[in-house]
Amino acid sequence: MSVIHRVRLPVGASTLVENGHRVEPAEVLATRRAVEGGVTVQVAARLRRGPAEAAGLLEARPGAFLAAGDRLAADGRGREVLAPMACVFLGYDADDGTALVAPLGGEQPILGHVRGEIESVTRDAIEIRVAGALVAGVGGSGNAVHGGLLMGVRDPAEELRAGAIDVGATGRIVVGGSRASAETLTRARAMGVAGIVLGGALEKELSDFQATQARRREMGGVAGDFAVVVVEGYGKVGMDAQLFEWFRAHAGHMASLFGDAARLYVYDADPPPARRVLPRPGNRVVAYRRPYAGVAGELQRVLDGPYATPGGVAARSGIVRFDDGRTAVVPLANLSALERRDA
Amino acid sequence: MTASVSTELALLVDVGSAWAKAGVVGRARGRWRIVAHASQPTSWGATELRRQLVEQLEASGDPRLAGRYEGLLSTANRIECHTARQVGRLAVIAVSRELSGGAARRAAEAAGWEVADVVTLDDGRSLAERLALLQSIEVDAWLLAGSFDDASSPRALEAAGLVAAARPVDGGAVVWAGSARLADQVAALFEPGAVAAVGNARPTPHREEGGELREHLQGLLRDTVAQEDQAHLSAATLPRAVSAIAAAGTLRVLAVDLGARGAIRALAEPDGTVASRLHSSGGLAGIARVAGAAGRVARQAPDAGDEAAVADLMQTIRARPETLPQTVEDVAGLQAAARILLAAMFDDDPVGPVDLLIGAGRSIAGAPKPAQAARMLLDGVRPIGVTQLAVDSASILGPLGSLPDGELTEGIELLGDDVLTALGTSVVTRGGSPGQLAMRVTVHRAGWPTPVPDDVRVGQVQVVPLARGQEAELVIELGPGVGLGASRRSPRITARAMGGSVGLILDARGAPIPLPRRADDRRVVLAGWRDAFEREGEAGR
Repeated sequence: MSVIHRVRLPVGASTLVENGHRVEPAEVLATRRAVEGGVTVQVAARLRRGPAEAAGLLEARPGAFLAAGDRLAADGRGREVLAPMACVFLGYDADDGTALVAPLGGEQPILGHVRGEIESVTRDAIEIRVAGALVAGVGGSGNAVHGGLLMGVRDPAEELRAGAIDVGATGRIVVGGSRASAETLTRARAMGVAGIVLGGALEKELSDFQATQARRREMGGVAGDFAVVVVEGYGKVGMDAQLFEWFRAHAGHMASLFGDAARLYVYDADPPPARRVLPRPGNRVVAYRRPYAGVAGELQRVLDGPYATPGGVAARSGIVRFDDGRTAVVPLANLSALERRDA
Repeated sequence: MTASVSTELALLVDVGSAWAKAGVVGRARGRWRIVAHASQPTSWGATELRRQLVEQLEASGDPRLAGRYEGLLSTANRIECHTARQVGRLAVIAVSRELSGGAARRAAEAAGWEVADVVTLDDGRSLAERLALLQSIEVDAWLLAGSFDDASSPRALEAAGLVAAARPVDGGAVVWAGSARLADQVAALFEPGAVAAVGNARPTPHREEGGELREHLQGLLRDTVAQEDQAHLSAATLPRAVSAIAAAGTLRVLAVDLGARGAIRALAEPDGTVASRLHSSGGLAGIARVAGAAGRVARQAPDAGDEAAVADLMQTIRARPETLPQTVEDVAGLQAAARILLAAMFDDDPVGPVDLLIGAGRSIAGAPKPAQAARMLLDGVRPIGVTQLAVDSASILGPLGSLPDGELTEGIELLGDDVLTALGTSVVTRGGSPGQLAMRVTVHRAGWPTPVPDDVRVGQVQVVPLARGQEAELVIELGPGVGLGASRRSPRITARAMGGSVGLILDARGAPIPLPRRADDRRVVLAGWRDAFEREGEAGR
């Protein structure tokens, strides 16, 4: 199984790879030169013209990337103004006759953060074919990280607790169950955990954690990357048992986690359990909304005609016998069928 | 020998970003009616939608056609509209966060764009950070602003230079909304034809003029998101249908369609001219991105749970827009979110009194109770004055608007009362002192005994039963300092009210609606309003 991962390239980036190259997560795919501050360059004075007149003698256009020595302006009589260093020409001030340029700093790497084979390289993006599986989450936060998968809980409904994070989790992507508190996330980050995969998370705890990290980052107190991805839903939502088992079966596999994009690539992995909309009677299903969010069960029967939820919303619904023993009428829109691996 | 029976059917389909809705129009008892209606997550596909409609028709349609509905539907005239697949994202780059940047951002949001980021030369970032940020964002357009009309600030050109350095060639439209003196210089930074110069959104330090910019951005958004078939795009078809309703009834009509991803408002004048606005990320999923939304929803809907529970709900609505609220708490939270999003659509550009206010979209038109739909419309839009309220419960306005002009007018005439579901009429006042009389309303119904006037105090809402199809003449006497949105010469105002599934709503809560600061007081007041709507609304059905 393989999936495609796309890496966007900023303007001015130089690619270092070609189609067919095999790349590793930490490999540099392209470089770009970021700007460093702004420098004022005298133009009118050097051309011995008035500021307004010198504006007409500019040869570079604001926004242009210039190499050191490239001509910025010339009067056609031998006087010229050259770019003092590699820079971006940002603008010309016709009042004082100066140009603002932003010097280009050292080359910065653009990483793919995944292992795979280059599928295509264009001006805008590099696409990498990843041999493995993609798990798409419903939300997350943080940069791209990679590490081996480590199970942090025994049960998909279990909360990932701070006590479960020890030195063995350093550099790993820890798979949790129903949620993790801000305290657990903070400890995980402090212990050098690369990332966390959760069935559910309380939005407030996630945002509290993010706010704390942002403050620490401003103060220079946070080092290293850390990412979280939520795969089922928000609130105290457990992970679907089949998906949990799939993670367990792939414990130890390398994975790349993109928190902000809510994507997790697991290398050399079978496809994760698939889901299908519009379940049929007899299907195993998982529910997405309160009060059954994250709970799996079996759809026993689809009711004739619409049925009103306790909130009053009338919708096509079915009777679900949940694994936790509850039986309830649930709108079909709030259910997905869990496809069996052997199906 | 049995005579062969046949019929003509039309299938009206509205394919939204999360839900698809379909209605079947057929001849019943000599007139065209909506004979079946179904809605489902868009991902379930067209076959399932048709299967549901066939099931309904087999159960309740003409029994002589039993077994033939599948075939009839497959050959039925299909009239369809759909939501744009793309969201319009734009970056704002300006000299000053407060002045040029603020004006540009407000105009962009009012035009319906999702503002990906605002970069200004006084935003505290370094030059390198600004450039890196602009290089990293993916947008459909770049909005540049800066320099007052009597100046040619080099800082504005510096901002333009940043965009020129960050934007790929052919990397989206560039709009210059700064000093006209700099327009040519800004245009020269980009490839020919890339830059459109419009009126300065902040021509002086003390004046903001976002109108021209907003209008230009609205057109640009339509072009950006609607590279598909304009004629079938909801953002174009809904306003056309609203325009036809306004022209047919010589009414001023406002429609609001709150979808899963985006929202549309369309204001049509009695002569049929219509102004519409698409809010790319103004739909329910956008509530998670509104700053402080969870707190606001929790304050406005104590039934929805505490702020943490509401925050989870907001994220669930964003992440799984095709799902439905099941619990009472989730319904309360969703409807409070809808009220906030509707209010945001009118923040910068109130529409004034309208004759008819139409609610569309599943969350409003498909609300469990008509009174809840009425409350979302009233709390969100605050239509001051006397206004008929209705919902597009069959979701047919969008599809009808995709018909050619003549057929659209004919379709609305033929379907008559089936086009909209009347909720009733509202009388919304503003002004006055809390607890004082806001209005005394006498409701005269033909054939009824002389009525006793209803007194409504400032801060109260009352619902008077007035069933669908009933009309009444209202005599309204306003309290001191209370207004109905228009100047009045007489102490008594008369108006006509049309009944509906909710009735006549006398709403003296003001605009915007003030809420008590203390949580306990707020809970009591909100529960009182909810009960007033739902109890009386139920009685009036």
